[in-house]
Amino acid sequence: MSPIRKFEKPLGMRDTFPKIFEKKEVVRQAGRDFLRLRGFDFIKTPTLEYYDTVGKASAIVESSLFKLVDSQGNTLVLRPDMTTPIARVATSKLLKEKIPLRLAYFANVFRAQETEGGRPAEFEQMGVEIIGDSSVYADAEILLTAIELLKALGVTQFKITIGHAGILKAILTQNVRTKEQFRELHKLLVHKNIVGFEEAIKKFDLPESNKETLIAFIEEAAELKSIAQLDKYLVEKDAFKYMERLQRILTISEVEEYIDFEFTLASHMNYYTGMLFEVFAIGTGFPLGNGGRYDGLLDEFGAQVGAIGFGMRVDHLLEVMPAIHEETTDVLVLFAQDDFPTALAQAAVLRKEGKRTTLQSIEGLENKEAFEQLFSEVVCIGQGGIVHD
Amino acid sequence: MTDLTIAMPKGRIFEEAYEMLIQAGFDLPADVEISRKLMIEVPSEKIRFILAKPMDVPTYVEHGVADIGIAGKDVLLEQGRAVHELLDLKISKCYIASAGLPNTKLGDIAPRIATKYPTVASNYYREKGEQVEIIGLNGSIELAPMIGLADRIVDIVSTGQTLKENGLVEYEYITDVSSRLIANPVSYRMKNERIQDLVKRLKKCVK
Repeated sequence: MSPIRKFEKPLGMRDTFPKIFEKKEVVRQAGRDFLRLRGFDFIKTPTLEYYDTVGKASAIVESSLFKLVDSQGNTLVLRPDMTTPIARVATSKLLKEKIPLRLAYFANVFRAQETEGGRPAEFEQMGVEIIGDSSVYADAEILLTAIELLKALGVTQFKITIGHAGILKAILTQNVRTKEQFRELHKLLVHKNIVGFEEAIKKFDLPESNKETLIAFIEEAAELKSIAQLDKYLVEKDAFKYMERLQRILTISEVEEYIDFEFTLASHMNYYTGMLFEVFAIGTGFPLGNGGRYDGLLDEFGAQVGAIGFGMRVDHLLEVMPAIHEETTDVLVLFAQDDFPTALAQAAVLRKEGKRTTLQSIEGLENKEAFEQLFSEVVCIGQGGIVHD
Repeated sequence: MTDLTIAMPKGRIFEEAYEMLIQAGFDLPADVEISRKLMIEVPSEKIRFILAKPMDVPTYVEHGVADIGIAGKDVLLEQGRAVHELLDLKISKCYIASAGLPNTKLGDIAPRIATKYPTVASNYYREKGEQVEIIGLNGSIELAPMIGLADRIVDIVSTGQTLKENGLVEYEYITDVSSRLIANPVSYRMKNERIQDLVKRLKKCVK
Protein backbone atom coordinates (compact mmCIF):
# COMPACT_ATOMS: atom_id res chain seq x y z
CA MET A 1 0.00 0.00 0.00
CA SER A 2 1.18 3.49 -0.77
CA PRO A 3 1.97 5.74 2.20
CA ILE A 4 -0.96 7.66 3.62
CA ARG A 5 -1.17 11.24 2.41
CA LYS A 6 -2.04 14.12 4.72
CA PHE A 7 -5.54 14.67 3.33
CA GLU A 8 -6.64 11.04 3.41
CA LYS A 9 -9.26 9.50 5.68
CA PRO A 10 -9.84 5.82 6.46
CA LEU A 11 -11.91 4.06 3.78
CA GLY A 12 -15.57 4.98 3.97
CA MET A 13 -15.13 7.85 6.44
CA ARG A 14 -16.59 11.17 5.36
CA ASP A 15 -16.39 14.78 6.43
CA THR A 16 -19.64 16.61 6.90
CA PHE A 17 -19.26 20.08 5.43
CA PRO A 18 -21.37 23.00 6.66
CA LYS A 19 -24.03 22.73 3.92
CA ILE A 20 -24.66 19.02 4.51
CA PHE A 21 -24.46 19.56 8.25
CA GLU A 22 -27.30 22.06 8.06
CA LYS A 23 -29.39 19.73 5.91
CA LYS A 24 -28.92 16.88 8.36
CA GLU A 25 -29.82 19.24 11.15
CA VAL A 26 -33.13 19.99 9.43
CA VAL A 27 -33.86 16.24 9.19
CA ARG A 28 -32.84 15.70 12.79
CA GLN A 29 -34.98 18.59 14.05
CA ALA A 30 -38.02 17.67 11.97
CA GLY A 31 -37.67 14.00 12.89
CA ARG A 32 -37.27 14.79 16.55
CA ASP A 33 -40.31 17.09 16.69
CA PHE A 34 -42.37 14.53 14.82
CA LEU A 35 -41.36 11.53 16.93
CA ARG A 36 -41.65 13.34 20.27
CA LEU A 37 -45.16 14.36 19.31
CA ARG A 38 -45.94 10.69 18.65
CA GLY A 39 -44.88 9.71 22.14
CA PHE A 40 -41.37 8.43 21.46
CA ASP A 41 -38.53 9.19 23.88
CA PHE A 42 -35.08 9.87 22.47
CA ILE A 43 -32.07 8.08 23.85
CA LYS A 44 -28.36 7.86 23.20
CA THR A 45 -26.04 4.91 23.79
CA PRO A 46 -22.24 4.72 23.83
CA THR A 47 -20.21 4.57 20.62
CA LEU A 48 -18.17 1.68 22.00
CA GLU A 49 -19.70 -1.59 23.19
CA TYR A 50 -18.31 -4.98 24.14
CA TYR A 51 -17.87 -7.41 21.30
CA ASP A 52 -19.24 -10.19 23.51
CA THR A 53 -22.55 -8.43 24.11
CA VAL A 54 -23.63 -6.04 21.37
CA GLY A 55 -21.07 -7.17 18.80
CA LYS A 56 -22.17 -10.81 18.91
CA ALA A 57 -25.90 -10.14 19.22
CA SER A 58 -25.93 -7.69 16.33
CA ALA A 59 -27.03 -9.04 12.96
CA ILE A 60 -24.21 -7.26 11.18
CA VAL A 61 -21.65 -9.72 9.83
CA GLU A 62 -18.47 -9.97 11.79
CA SER A 63 -16.25 -8.81 8.93
CA SER A 64 -18.10 -5.48 8.97
CA LEU A 65 -17.38 -4.75 12.63
CA PHE A 66 -14.75 -2.22 13.64
CA LYS A 67 -12.95 -3.85 16.54
CA LEU A 68 -10.49 -2.56 19.06
CA VAL A 69 -9.07 -3.71 22.37
CA ASP A 70 -9.38 -1.87 25.69
CA SER A 71 -6.67 -1.65 28.34
CA GLN A 72 -7.95 -4.83 30.03
CA GLY A 73 -7.75 -6.81 26.83
CA ASN A 74 -11.51 -6.91 26.16
CA THR A 75 -12.56 -6.67 22.54
CA LEU A 76 -14.72 -3.65 21.82
CA VAL A 77 -16.75 -2.74 18.76
CA LEU A 78 -17.89 0.57 17.33
CA ARG A 79 -21.67 0.11 17.43
CA PRO A 80 -22.72 -1.39 14.09
CA ASP A 81 -26.43 -0.70 14.63
CA MET A 82 -28.67 0.96 17.19
CA THR A 83 -31.25 -1.77 17.68
CA THR A 84 -28.87 -4.04 19.58
CA PRO A 85 -27.62 -1.42 22.10
CA ILE A 86 -31.23 -0.35 22.65
CA ALA A 87 -32.20 -3.97 23.30
CA ARG A 88 -29.36 -4.12 25.83
CA VAL A 89 -30.36 -0.97 27.69
CA ALA A 90 -34.07 -1.77 27.54
CA THR A 91 -33.74 -5.24 29.00
CA SER A 92 -31.26 -4.24 31.70
CA LYS A 93 -33.00 -1.07 32.85
CA LEU A 94 -35.70 0.78 30.97
CA LEU A 95 -38.28 -2.01 30.80
CA LYS A 96 -38.47 -1.98 34.59
CA GLU A 97 -39.70 1.60 34.47
CA LYS A 98 -42.15 1.56 31.58
CA ILE A 99 -43.62 -1.11 29.40
CA PRO A 100 -44.16 -0.93 26.48
CA LEU A 101 -41.30 1.44 25.71
CA ARG A 102 -41.32 3.78 22.75
CA LEU A 103 -37.75 4.79 22.02
CA ALA A 104 -36.21 6.85 19.23
CA TYR A 105 -32.67 7.66 18.19
CA PHE A 106 -30.63 9.71 15.76
CA ALA A 107 -27.14 8.29 15.80
CA ASN A 108 -24.15 7.34 13.73
CA VAL A 109 -23.33 3.67 13.27
CA PHE A 110 -20.18 2.04 11.92
CA ARG A 111 -19.79 -0.71 9.38
CA ALA A 112 -16.39 -1.46 7.94
CA GLN A 113 -16.16 -2.14 4.24
CA GLU A 114 -13.35 -3.13 1.98
CA THR A 115 -14.76 -2.28 -1.39
CA GLU A 116 -14.96 0.83 -3.50
CA GLY A 117 -16.51 4.21 -2.83
CA GLY A 118 -20.16 5.14 -2.66
CA ARG A 119 -20.67 3.40 0.67
CA PRO A 120 -19.85 5.20 3.87
CA ALA A 121 -18.45 3.18 6.76
CA GLU A 122 -19.97 5.62 9.26
CA PHE A 123 -23.47 6.89 8.70
CA GLU A 124 -26.38 8.39 10.57
CA GLN A 125 -29.53 6.48 11.24
CA MET A 126 -32.84 7.70 12.51
CA GLY A 127 -35.11 5.10 13.96
CA VAL A 128 -37.60 3.96 16.55
CA GLU A 129 -38.26 0.84 18.59
CA ILE A 130 -41.37 -0.29 20.47
CA ILE A 131 -40.34 -2.80 23.11
CA GLY A 132 -42.68 -4.86 25.26
CA ASP A 133 -45.68 -4.99 22.95
CA SER A 134 -46.42 -8.15 20.94
CA SER A 135 -49.74 -7.02 19.54
CA VAL A 136 -50.41 -6.39 15.88
CA TYR A 137 -51.08 -2.75 16.75
CA ALA A 138 -47.40 -2.30 17.55
CA ASP A 139 -46.58 -3.52 14.02
CA ALA A 140 -49.10 -1.07 12.64
CA GLU A 141 -47.79 1.80 14.77
CA ILE A 142 -44.24 1.20 13.49
CA LEU A 143 -45.40 1.16 9.87
CA LEU A 144 -47.59 4.23 10.33
CA THR A 145 -44.75 6.05 12.08
CA ALA A 146 -42.43 5.31 9.15
CA ILE A 147 -45.02 6.50 6.64
CA GLU A 148 -45.97 9.64 8.54
CA LEU A 149 -42.31 10.46 9.22
CA LEU A 150 -41.50 10.34 5.52
CA LYS A 151 -44.49 12.54 4.76
CA ALA A 152 -43.44 14.98 7.48
CA LEU A 153 -40.02 15.19 5.81
CA GLY A 154 -41.66 16.04 2.51
CA VAL A 155 -40.98 12.71 0.78
CA THR A 156 -43.90 11.86 -1.48
CA GLN A 157 -42.92 9.00 -3.78
CA PHE A 158 -42.12 6.08 -1.55
CA LYS A 159 -43.15 2.48 -1.02
CA ILE A 160 -43.01 0.19 1.96
CA THR A 161 -42.67 -3.49 1.09
CA ILE A 162 -43.94 -5.77 3.82
CA GLY A 163 -43.18 -9.44 4.32
CA HIS A 164 -43.15 -11.92 7.17
CA ALA A 165 -40.10 -13.92 8.24
CA GLY A 166 -42.23 -16.66 9.80
CA ILE A 167 -44.50 -17.12 6.79
CA LEU A 168 -41.59 -17.33 4.40
CA LYS A 169 -39.84 -19.82 6.65
CA ALA A 170 -42.98 -21.96 6.90
CA ILE A 171 -43.56 -22.05 3.15
CA LEU A 172 -39.94 -22.90 2.40
CA THR A 173 -39.55 -25.56 5.09
CA GLN A 174 -42.82 -27.26 4.14
CA ASN A 175 -41.45 -27.79 0.65
CA VAL A 176 -37.82 -28.73 1.17
CA ARG A 177 -36.17 -31.72 2.80
CA THR A 178 -33.12 -30.40 4.56
CA LYS A 179 -31.94 -27.38 6.54
CA GLU A 180 -29.23 -26.79 3.91
CA GLN A 181 -31.84 -26.52 1.17
CA PHE A 182 -33.80 -24.04 3.28
CA ARG A 183 -30.69 -21.97 3.95
CA GLU A 184 -29.70 -21.92 0.32
CA LEU A 185 -33.16 -20.79 -0.83
CA HIS A 186 -33.40 -18.21 1.93
CA LYS A 187 -30.03 -16.74 1.03
CA LEU A 188 -31.03 -16.50 -2.63
CA LEU A 189 -34.16 -14.60 -1.62
CA VAL A 190 -32.18 -12.19 0.56
CA HIS A 191 -30.40 -11.19 -2.66
CA LYS A 192 -33.62 -11.53 -4.68
CA ASN A 193 -31.86 -13.86 -7.03
CA ILE A 194 -34.93 -15.26 -8.77
CA VAL A 195 -32.87 -17.03 -11.41
CA GLY A 196 -30.75 -18.71 -8.76
CA PHE A 197 -33.86 -19.67 -6.76
CA GLU A 198 -35.46 -21.41 -9.72
CA GLU A 199 -32.19 -23.14 -10.64
CA ALA A 200 -31.68 -24.35 -7.07
CA ILE A 201 -35.17 -25.84 -6.95
CA LYS A 202 -34.58 -27.69 -10.21
CA LYS A 203 -31.32 -29.06 -8.84
CA PHE A 204 -32.76 -30.21 -5.47
CA ASP A 205 -33.91 -33.77 -4.98
CA LEU A 206 -37.55 -32.98 -4.22
CA PRO A 207 -40.95 -34.33 -5.24
CA GLU A 208 -42.32 -32.54 -8.32
CA SER A 209 -45.29 -31.25 -6.34
CA ASN A 210 -43.00 -29.37 -3.93
CA LYS A 211 -40.98 -27.92 -6.78
CA GLU A 212 -44.14 -26.71 -8.48
CA THR A 213 -45.42 -25.18 -5.25
CA LEU A 214 -42.22 -23.23 -4.70
CA ILE A 215 -42.10 -21.93 -8.27
CA ALA A 216 -45.77 -20.97 -8.13
CA PHE A 217 -45.21 -19.23 -4.82
CA ILE A 218 -42.34 -17.10 -6.07
CA GLU A 219 -44.20 -16.14 -9.22
CA GLU A 220 -47.38 -15.28 -7.39
CA ALA A 221 -45.53 -13.36 -4.69
CA ALA A 222 -43.95 -11.03 -7.26
CA GLU A 223 -47.33 -9.58 -8.13
CA LEU A 224 -49.51 -10.27 -5.14
CA LYS A 225 -53.01 -8.85 -5.55
CA SER A 226 -54.29 -9.92 -2.16
CA ILE A 227 -52.91 -11.59 0.94
CA ALA A 228 -55.62 -14.23 0.57
CA GLN A 229 -53.64 -15.78 -2.29
CA LEU A 230 -51.16 -16.96 0.31
CA ASP A 231 -53.64 -19.06 2.23
CA LYS A 232 -53.16 -22.14 0.06
CA TYR A 233 -49.41 -22.32 0.74
CA LEU A 234 -49.79 -22.47 4.49
CA VAL A 235 -50.70 -25.27 6.84
CA GLU A 236 -50.31 -23.33 10.06
CA LYS A 237 -52.44 -20.20 9.71
CA ASP A 238 -51.60 -18.08 12.77
CA ALA A 239 -49.07 -15.82 11.07
CA PHE A 240 -51.32 -15.54 8.05
CA LYS A 241 -54.23 -14.38 10.19
CA TYR A 242 -51.90 -11.92 11.90
CA MET A 243 -50.98 -10.39 8.56
CA GLU A 244 -54.64 -10.20 7.55
CA ARG A 245 -55.35 -8.26 10.71
CA LEU A 246 -52.40 -5.99 10.01
CA GLN A 247 -53.70 -5.34 6.52
CA ARG A 248 -57.15 -4.44 7.89
CA ILE A 249 -55.61 -1.99 10.36
CA LEU A 250 -53.54 -0.40 7.60
CA THR A 251 -56.64 -0.09 5.42
CA ILE A 252 -58.48 1.69 8.23
CA SER A 253 -55.46 3.97 8.57
CA GLU A 254 -55.71 4.87 4.86
CA VAL A 255 -52.11 4.17 3.96
CA GLU A 256 -52.68 1.45 1.35
CA GLU A 257 -51.17 3.50 -1.46
CA TYR A 258 -47.78 3.36 0.24
CA ILE A 259 -47.81 -0.35 0.91
CA ASP A 260 -46.99 -3.56 -0.96
CA PHE A 261 -47.09 -7.02 0.52
CA GLU A 262 -44.25 -9.21 -0.71
CA PHE A 263 -43.82 -12.51 1.04
CA THR A 264 -40.52 -13.45 -0.56
CA LEU A 265 -38.94 -10.52 1.29
CA ALA A 266 -36.07 -11.96 3.29
CA SER A 267 -33.48 -10.22 5.41
CA HIS A 268 -29.89 -11.06 6.26
CA MET A 269 -30.76 -9.70 9.72
CA ASN A 270 -31.43 -13.08 11.27
CA TYR A 271 -33.08 -11.69 14.40
CA TYR A 272 -36.27 -10.78 12.55
CA THR A 273 -38.95 -13.23 13.60
CA GLY A 274 -42.23 -11.81 12.37
CA MET A 275 -43.34 -8.97 10.11
CA LEU A 276 -40.48 -7.24 8.34
CA PHE A 277 -40.32 -4.44 5.80
CA GLU A 278 -38.12 -2.32 3.58
CA VAL A 279 -38.55 1.31 2.60
CA PHE A 280 -37.86 2.57 -0.92
CA ALA A 281 -38.19 5.99 -2.50
CA ILE A 282 -37.66 7.62 -5.88
CA GLY A 283 -34.43 9.58 -5.88
CA THR A 284 -31.93 7.12 -4.51
CA GLY A 285 -30.70 3.78 -5.78
CA PHE A 286 -30.46 2.32 -2.29
CA PRO A 287 -33.20 1.35 0.18
CA LEU A 288 -34.01 4.15 2.62
CA GLY A 289 -34.31 1.82 5.54
CA ASN A 290 -35.82 -1.31 6.93
CA GLY A 291 -37.45 -2.68 10.00
CA GLY A 292 -39.42 -5.49 11.54
CA ARG A 293 -40.26 -7.55 14.56
CA TYR A 294 -37.24 -8.95 16.38
CA ASP A 295 -38.51 -10.67 19.53
CA GLY A 296 -35.55 -13.07 19.25
CA LEU A 297 -32.99 -10.36 19.93
CA LEU A 298 -34.60 -9.43 23.24
CA ASP A 299 -34.53 -13.09 24.14
CA GLU A 300 -30.76 -13.02 23.71
CA PHE A 301 -30.57 -10.30 26.38
CA GLY A 302 -32.79 -12.35 28.66
CA ALA A 303 -36.22 -10.77 28.22
CA GLN A 304 -39.21 -12.56 26.71
CA VAL A 305 -41.03 -9.55 25.32
CA GLY A 306 -42.06 -8.43 21.86
CA ALA A 307 -40.02 -5.79 20.09
CA ILE A 308 -40.33 -4.04 16.77
CA GLY A 309 -38.69 -1.08 15.11
CA PHE A 310 -37.16 0.50 12.04
CA GLY A 311 -34.08 2.47 11.07
CA MET A 312 -33.64 4.88 8.18
CA ARG A 313 -30.46 6.07 6.53
CA VAL A 314 -30.14 9.83 6.90
CA ASP A 315 -27.78 10.13 3.91
CA HIS A 316 -30.30 8.46 1.59
CA LEU A 317 -33.14 10.48 3.12
CA LEU A 318 -31.31 13.67 2.11
CA GLU A 319 -31.22 12.41 -1.49
CA VAL A 320 -34.98 11.94 -1.68
CA MET A 321 -36.13 14.94 0.31
CA PRO A 322 -37.24 18.04 -1.58
CA ALA A 323 -34.55 20.73 -1.71
CA ILE A 324 -34.75 23.13 1.18
CA HIS A 325 -34.67 26.76 0.07
CA GLU A 326 -33.77 28.84 2.98
CA GLU A 327 -33.33 32.52 2.32
CA THR A 328 -30.97 33.48 5.08
CA THR A 329 -29.34 36.84 5.30
CA ASP A 330 -25.68 36.53 5.96
CA VAL A 331 -24.22 39.84 7.14
CA LEU A 332 -20.53 40.68 7.31
CA VAL A 333 -19.46 43.50 9.63
CA LEU A 334 -15.98 44.68 8.69
CA PHE A 335 -14.07 47.05 10.87
CA ALA A 336 -10.76 48.85 11.08
CA GLN A 337 -9.00 48.54 14.43
CA ASP A 338 -10.06 51.93 15.89
CA ASP A 339 -13.71 51.23 15.25
CA PHE A 340 -13.97 47.99 17.15
CA PRO A 341 -16.43 49.35 19.79
CA THR A 342 -18.79 50.66 17.07
CA ALA A 343 -18.55 47.35 15.20
CA LEU A 344 -19.27 45.36 18.35
CA ALA A 345 -22.41 47.40 19.02
CA GLN A 346 -23.51 47.17 15.38
CA ALA A 347 -23.09 43.37 15.34
CA ALA A 348 -25.11 43.07 18.53
CA VAL A 349 -27.97 45.06 16.98
CA LEU A 350 -27.95 42.90 13.84
CA ARG A 351 -27.87 39.64 15.79
CA LYS A 352 -30.76 40.83 17.94
CA GLU A 353 -32.72 41.28 14.71
CA GLY A 354 -32.08 37.62 14.09
CA LYS A 355 -29.57 38.18 11.30
CA ARG A 356 -26.61 35.86 11.06
CA THR A 357 -23.70 38.25 11.56
CA THR A 358 -19.99 37.68 11.11
CA LEU A 359 -17.67 40.16 12.82
CA GLN A 360 -14.36 40.44 11.01
CA SER A 361 -11.42 42.84 11.26
CA ILE A 362 -10.09 44.17 7.96
CA GLU A 363 -6.64 43.64 9.36
CA GLY A 364 -7.19 39.89 9.48
CA LEU A 365 -8.16 39.58 5.83
CA GLU A 366 -5.78 38.78 3.03
CA ASN A 367 -8.27 39.17 0.23
CA LYS A 368 -11.07 41.49 1.28
CA GLU A 369 -12.99 41.36 -2.04
CA ALA A 370 -13.07 37.57 -2.18
CA PHE A 371 -14.26 37.31 1.40
CA GLU A 372 -17.01 39.92 0.92
CA GLN A 373 -18.36 37.87 -2.01
CA LEU A 374 -19.42 35.13 0.40
CA PHE A 375 -21.98 37.30 2.18
CA SER A 376 -25.36 38.65 1.21
CA GLU A 377 -24.78 41.96 2.98
CA VAL A 378 -21.60 43.80 3.96
CA VAL A 379 -21.40 46.54 6.55
CA CYS A 380 -18.10 48.42 6.55
CA ILE A 381 -17.26 50.38 9.66
CA GLY A 382 -14.37 52.71 9.06
CA GLN A 383 -13.26 56.26 9.71
CA GLY A 384 -16.09 57.62 7.61
CA GLY A 385 -18.75 55.92 9.74
CA ILE A 386 -20.97 53.00 8.72
CA VAL A 387 -21.15 52.11 5.02
CA HIS A 388 -23.61 49.51 3.72
CA ASP A 389 -22.78 47.74 0.46
CA MET B 1 -46.01 4.88 -17.83
CA THR B 2 -42.80 5.57 -15.96
CA ASP B 3 -39.46 6.03 -17.67
CA LEU B 4 -37.12 3.10 -17.70
CA THR B 5 -33.34 3.27 -18.01
CA ILE B 6 -31.72 0.07 -19.23
CA ALA B 7 -27.98 -0.52 -19.01
CA MET B 8 -26.84 -2.64 -21.94
CA PRO B 9 -23.47 -4.24 -22.51
CA LYS B 10 -21.72 -3.00 -25.63
CA GLY B 11 -20.70 -5.41 -28.32
CA ARG B 12 -22.09 -8.77 -29.35
CA ILE B 13 -24.41 -9.21 -26.36
CA PHE B 14 -26.04 -5.86 -27.13
CA GLU B 15 -27.30 -7.07 -30.49
CA GLU B 16 -28.66 -10.34 -29.11
CA ALA B 17 -30.36 -8.65 -26.19
CA TYR B 18 -31.73 -5.82 -28.34
CA GLU B 19 -33.15 -8.38 -30.75
CA MET B 20 -34.87 -10.10 -27.82
CA LEU B 21 -36.50 -6.86 -26.74
CA ILE B 22 -37.85 -6.36 -30.28
CA GLN B 23 -39.18 -9.93 -30.25
CA ALA B 24 -40.83 -9.19 -26.92
CA GLY B 25 -42.87 -6.57 -28.71
CA PHE B 26 -41.03 -3.39 -27.78
CA ASP B 27 -41.29 -0.72 -30.44
CA LEU B 28 -37.59 -0.09 -30.97
CA PRO B 29 -35.84 1.20 -34.10
CA ALA B 30 -34.58 -1.80 -36.07
CA ASP B 31 -31.26 -0.24 -36.93
CA VAL B 32 -29.37 1.51 -34.22
CA GLU B 33 -26.08 3.20 -34.73
CA ILE B 34 -24.19 2.28 -31.59
CA SER B 35 -20.62 2.58 -32.70
CA ARG B 36 -19.84 5.63 -30.63
CA LYS B 37 -23.08 6.50 -28.93
CA LEU B 38 -23.35 6.01 -25.19
CA MET B 39 -27.07 6.70 -24.88
CA ILE B 40 -30.09 5.91 -27.00
CA GLU B 41 -33.50 7.42 -26.28
CA VAL B 42 -36.65 5.66 -27.43
CA PRO B 43 -39.43 8.14 -26.57
CA SER B 44 -42.25 5.95 -27.95
CA GLU B 45 -41.51 3.30 -25.31
CA LYS B 46 -40.20 5.72 -22.68
CA ILE B 47 -37.00 3.73 -22.60
CA ARG B 48 -33.47 5.01 -22.44
CA PHE B 49 -30.57 2.70 -23.14
CA ILE B 50 -27.15 3.39 -21.74
CA LEU B 51 -24.30 1.51 -23.32
CA ALA B 52 -21.62 0.36 -20.95
CA LYS B 53 -18.73 -2.03 -20.86
CA PRO B 54 -20.14 -5.45 -19.90
CA MET B 55 -18.15 -5.42 -16.65
CA ASP B 56 -19.72 -2.09 -15.67
CA VAL B 57 -23.41 -2.87 -16.18
CA PRO B 58 -23.99 -4.12 -12.59
CA THR B 59 -22.32 -0.96 -11.24
CA TYR B 60 -24.78 1.34 -13.01
CA VAL B 61 -27.69 -0.78 -11.84
CA GLU B 62 -26.48 -1.07 -8.25
CA HIS B 63 -26.22 2.69 -7.92
CA GLY B 64 -29.66 3.11 -9.45
CA VAL B 65 -28.61 5.29 -12.39
CA ALA B 66 -30.00 2.46 -14.51
CA ASP B 67 -33.20 0.72 -13.39
CA ILE B 68 -32.42 -2.57 -15.02
CA GLY B 69 -29.59 -4.02 -17.04
CA ILE B 70 -28.30 -7.03 -18.88
CA ALA B 71 -25.21 -8.57 -17.40
CA GLY B 72 -23.25 -11.79 -17.69
CA LYS B 73 -23.43 -14.22 -14.78
CA ASP B 74 -19.61 -14.20 -14.73
CA VAL B 75 -19.61 -10.49 -13.90
CA LEU B 76 -22.35 -10.92 -11.30
CA LEU B 77 -20.45 -13.73 -9.57
CA GLU B 78 -17.21 -11.81 -9.64
CA GLN B 79 -18.56 -8.52 -8.31
CA GLY B 80 -21.33 -9.69 -5.98
CA ARG B 81 -23.22 -6.43 -6.26
CA ALA B 82 -26.53 -5.66 -4.56
CA VAL B 83 -28.80 -6.15 -7.58
CA HIS B 84 -31.79 -8.41 -8.13
CA GLU B 85 -31.35 -11.18 -10.67
CA LEU B 86 -34.71 -11.54 -12.38
CA LEU B 87 -34.39 -13.62 -15.51
CA ASP B 88 -31.93 -15.86 -17.30
CA LEU B 89 -32.03 -14.70 -20.91
CA LYS B 90 -30.01 -17.75 -21.97
CA ILE B 91 -28.02 -15.75 -24.48
CA SER B 92 -24.21 -15.57 -24.78
CA LYS B 93 -23.98 -18.93 -23.09
CA CYS B 94 -20.60 -20.22 -22.00
CA TYR B 95 -19.02 -21.51 -18.81
CA ILE B 96 -16.16 -20.84 -16.46
CA ALA B 97 -13.52 -23.54 -16.24
CA SER B 98 -9.97 -24.07 -15.17
CA ALA B 99 -7.37 -24.99 -17.77
CA GLY B 100 -3.65 -25.57 -18.05
CA LEU B 101 -0.92 -27.39 -19.94
CA PRO B 102 -1.77 -31.05 -20.64
CA ASN B 103 -0.75 -33.70 -18.10
CA THR B 104 0.18 -31.28 -15.36
CA LYS B 105 -0.74 -31.35 -11.71
CA LEU B 106 -1.28 -28.42 -9.39
CA GLY B 107 1.96 -27.76 -7.51
CA ASP B 108 1.92 -28.61 -3.80
CA ILE B 109 3.30 -25.33 -2.60
CA ALA B 110 1.21 -22.28 -3.37
CA PRO B 111 -0.09 -23.20 -6.82
CA ARG B 112 -0.70 -20.14 -8.92
CA ILE B 113 -3.92 -19.39 -10.76
CA ALA B 114 -4.09 -16.64 -13.37
CA THR B 115 -7.53 -15.19 -14.02
CA LYS B 116 -9.74 -12.26 -14.91
CA TYR B 117 -12.08 -13.51 -12.16
CA PRO B 118 -10.12 -13.44 -8.88
CA THR B 119 -13.20 -13.76 -6.67
CA VAL B 120 -14.73 -16.64 -8.63
CA ALA B 121 -11.41 -18.47 -8.77
CA SER B 122 -10.59 -17.89 -5.12
CA ASN B 123 -14.06 -19.05 -3.99
CA TYR B 124 -13.86 -22.15 -6.16
CA TYR B 125 -10.51 -23.35 -4.82
CA ARG B 126 -11.49 -22.47 -1.29
CA GLU B 127 -14.62 -24.63 -1.59
CA LYS B 128 -12.39 -27.44 -2.83
CA GLY B 129 -10.13 -26.99 0.15
CA GLU B 130 -7.09 -25.96 -1.82
CA GLN B 131 -5.05 -22.91 -1.00
CA VAL B 132 -3.91 -21.14 -4.12
CA GLU B 133 -2.38 -17.83 -5.08
CA ILE B 134 -4.41 -15.75 -7.47
CA ILE B 135 -2.72 -13.67 -10.15
CA GLY B 136 -5.04 -11.09 -11.69
CA LEU B 137 -4.78 -10.51 -15.44
CA ASN B 138 -6.95 -8.51 -17.82
CA GLY B 139 -6.78 -10.53 -21.02
CA SER B 140 -4.88 -13.15 -23.02
CA ILE B 141 -5.06 -15.31 -19.93
CA GLU B 142 -3.93 -18.35 -21.96
CA LEU B 143 -0.41 -16.93 -21.99
CA ALA B 144 0.09 -17.45 -18.27
CA PRO B 145 0.60 -21.27 -18.20
CA MET B 146 2.42 -21.19 -21.54
CA ILE B 147 5.20 -18.99 -20.24
CA GLY B 148 5.23 -20.28 -16.70
CA LEU B 149 3.41 -17.50 -14.86
CA ALA B 150 0.75 -19.82 -13.49
CA ASP B 151 -0.17 -23.51 -13.13
CA ARG B 152 -3.77 -23.01 -14.11
CA ILE B 153 -6.02 -20.37 -15.53
CA VAL B 154 -9.65 -19.75 -14.66
CA ASP B 155 -11.53 -18.22 -17.55
CA ILE B 156 -14.70 -18.37 -19.61
CA VAL B 157 -14.86 -21.03 -22.28
CA SER B 158 -17.40 -20.94 -25.09
CA THR B 159 -16.12 -23.32 -27.77
CA GLY B 160 -12.75 -24.29 -26.37
CA GLN B 161 -11.09 -23.20 -29.59
CA THR B 162 -8.80 -20.62 -27.97
CA LEU B 163 -7.59 -23.15 -25.43
CA LYS B 164 -6.89 -25.70 -28.15
CA GLU B 165 -5.01 -23.28 -30.34
CA ASN B 166 -2.73 -22.45 -27.45
CA GLY B 167 -2.09 -26.04 -26.48
CA LEU B 168 -4.10 -25.91 -23.25
CA VAL B 169 -6.60 -28.42 -21.94
CA GLU B 170 -9.64 -27.90 -19.78
CA TYR B 171 -9.40 -29.39 -16.28
CA GLU B 172 -12.41 -28.48 -14.15
CA TYR B 173 -15.80 -27.11 -15.03
CA ILE B 174 -16.68 -24.38 -12.52
CA THR B 175 -20.03 -22.82 -13.42
CA ASP B 176 -22.38 -21.96 -16.27
CA VAL B 177 -22.58 -18.42 -17.59
CA SER B 178 -25.30 -16.64 -19.54
CA SER B 179 -26.77 -13.16 -19.70
CA ARG B 180 -29.17 -12.17 -16.93
CA LEU B 181 -31.72 -9.44 -16.55
CA ILE B 182 -30.87 -7.57 -13.37
CA ALA B 183 -32.70 -4.81 -11.51
CA ASN B 184 -31.91 -2.15 -8.97
CA PRO B 185 -33.68 -2.98 -5.67
CA VAL B 186 -35.36 0.43 -5.46
CA SER B 187 -36.45 0.48 -9.11
CA TYR B 188 -37.75 -3.07 -8.69
CA ARG B 189 -40.19 -1.77 -6.08
CA MET B 190 -40.94 1.71 -7.36
CA LYS B 191 -41.34 0.65 -11.00
CA ASN B 192 -42.63 -2.82 -10.23
CA GLU B 193 -45.38 -2.89 -12.85
CA ARG B 194 -43.15 -1.88 -15.73
CA ILE B 195 -40.39 -4.23 -14.73
CA GLN B 196 -42.74 -7.19 -14.19
CA ASP B 197 -44.31 -6.52 -17.58
CA LEU B 198 -40.88 -6.53 -19.19
CA VAL B 199 -39.87 -9.72 -17.38
CA LYS B 200 -43.02 -11.51 -18.50
CA ARG B 201 -42.64 -10.46 -22.11
CA LEU B 202 -38.97 -11.37 -22.23
CA LYS B 203 -39.61 -14.70 -20.53
CA LYS B 204 -41.72 -15.76 -23.51
CA CYS B 205 -38.78 -15.08 -25.84
CA VAL B 206 -36.23 -17.05 -23.85
CA LYS B 207 -35.22 -20.13 -25.81
